[in-house]
Amino acid sequence: MISTPRRSRSTLSGERWLRGLLLAATLVSTVAVFSILGFLVYFCLPLADPARLAAVASCTWQPFQGQFGILPMVVGSLSLAAGALVLAFPMGVGICCLAHGLAPRAVARALLVLIHFMASIPTVIYAFVSVFLLVPLMRQWFERGSGFSLLSAALTLAVLVLPTIVLLIHIRFEQIDPPLRLASAALGFSPAGELLWVILPLSGRGLAAAAVLGFGRAIGDTMISLMVAGNAPQFPTSMLDSIRTLTAQIALVVATDSQTPAYHSIFACGLILFLATGVVSLTIRRLRLPSRESLFHAKNA
Amino acid sequence: MERADLSPREPSVQIADLAVHFAGRAALHGINLTLEAGQMTVVIGPSGSGKTTLLRAINRLNECFPNCRTVGTVRIRLDGRWVDAYRDFRPVAELRRRVGMVFQTPNVLPCSIEKNLSIPLIRVAGLSKSRLPGRIEWALREVELWDEVKDRLRHNALTLSGGQQQRLCLARALALKPQVLLLDEPTASLDFRATQKIERLLLKLRDRYTILAISHSLGQTRRLADRVIVLRDGRLAEQFDREHLEDAETFEALLEEIF
Repeated sequence: MISTPRRSRSTLSGERWLRGLLLAATLVSTVAVFSILGFLVYFCLPLADPARLAAVASCTWQPFQGQFGILPMVVGSLSLAAGALVLAFPMGVGICCLAHGLAPRAVARALLVLIHFMASIPTVIYAFVSVFLLVPLMRQWFERGSGFSLLSAALTLAVLVLPTIVLLIHIRFEQIDPPLRLASAALGFSPAGELLWVILPLSGRGLAAAAVLGFGRAIGDTMISLMVAGNAPQFPTSMLDSIRTLTAQIALVVATDSQTPAYHSIFACGLILFLATGVVSLTIRRLRLPSRESLFHAKNA
Repeated sequence: MERADLSPREPSVQIADLAVHFAGRAALHGINLTLEAGQMTVVIGPSGSGKTTLLRAINRLNECFPNCRTVGTVRIRLDGRWVDAYRDFRPVAELRRRVGMVFQTPNVLPCSIEKNLSIPLIRVAGLSKSRLPGRIEWALREVELWDEVKDRLRHNALTLSGGQQQRLCLARALALKPQVLLLDEPTASLDFRATQKIERLLLKLRDRYTILAISHSLGQTRRLADRVIVLRDGRLAEQFDREHLEDAETFEALLEEIF
């Protein structure tokens, strides 16, 4: 007869404590997120007035003239995040391909160590180095403007989001069954062919998740856009134009003001950023990979 | 029906003084072996005796693992010409196309049944799109899978049963027109019926390819093998021909002596 070991009273009470502790942590996190949303919505309530809403959702930011339009910042944030992603994503895919078969093992290992290290560098360091190295170079090369531009910020931000993208794609590549990779090699695929025709097609959703998370990381960054993008509240017409992002706008206004109506417009900026991040998270959740089990259930349905 | 271009009873693979080391540790040493065309040679031996390493030495798959060093020669007769597997193939893709392999567990690509065959055919063998349907049908008929899947070629290959998946893997290897087949315990993960079906197929294919297979089942070895080689501690311990296999008791007594 099989007997189940009786659990002692102390083990049971320990488990209860642990469960309670985890539940409390979950509640605190959930309440915090919803409180932030509630707080932002509450402070944005004055914008329910159509005249005020029109003032904030306009194209000109001239607070001394009573114009509090944040649309240039919305466009600035979106174009900077998109620019950084366009630069970083192909680079990330390339690095992962190098690390998973194209480069010799020692090089691949060194590359991944470097990427892990890059992830730990504070943002302000990237921005700081960019101000003193990249910005003067841009000024020299293009002989236009101050060098503090959408392009400079996008290049710097691309370096910042690169580890996020690489590590996500790397994890997806690693999840692909090693036996499947061996079978591909046995069929005669070269390492490049294996990556191109087996690994990359199987990583579609992982690649999309990496792009979405990279975008989320880029749109949420403050330091690089604040220090490198030039902070001109205008719609960019070229990559060499200065821009101001929503995050930089919040930082600048909070640092200089706390009384005027301009101060209150930053809550709208915050709400837009919060919602953008929320959309990114939800998109990632929807991109969850179909597991082998779900295919199994589909087969047996 | 298309047939592999082999004359039976001629040497097809010659292995001389083969040794394989992983991180300095010898997995195989002093292997001298000749495989004949139209024959199935079955490798048996305890776990860790180097059976899989021997198979992977022929299609150079050991090189996919870190710190692997292979010495000795593996010569293969392809289209009537002897080539050295380790010197004449750079890159190794062509060698691996001509030396097909089926693994212990079915490892179909998680895409459609059709793509499992068409991707290697287009990307590895460079087959034109016009010849693709014919070759796919031929390969699936070879493994007696055509009638079962012809109406659902676009379905995901993972929706097939284990036995069907393994037959698809065999079809995928056959589609590339190999001359040598390496089978690493191809029925190990299958039930009785699926195993029977694969064995029947292998008996049918045996005359047309040079087959080197691993088996853990003595019954299966007796049913399929023209020749049995026994590996122990990375060395070739014994070889038996067909006549030694006829009498079950004698064969088992011989094996008991060896193990």
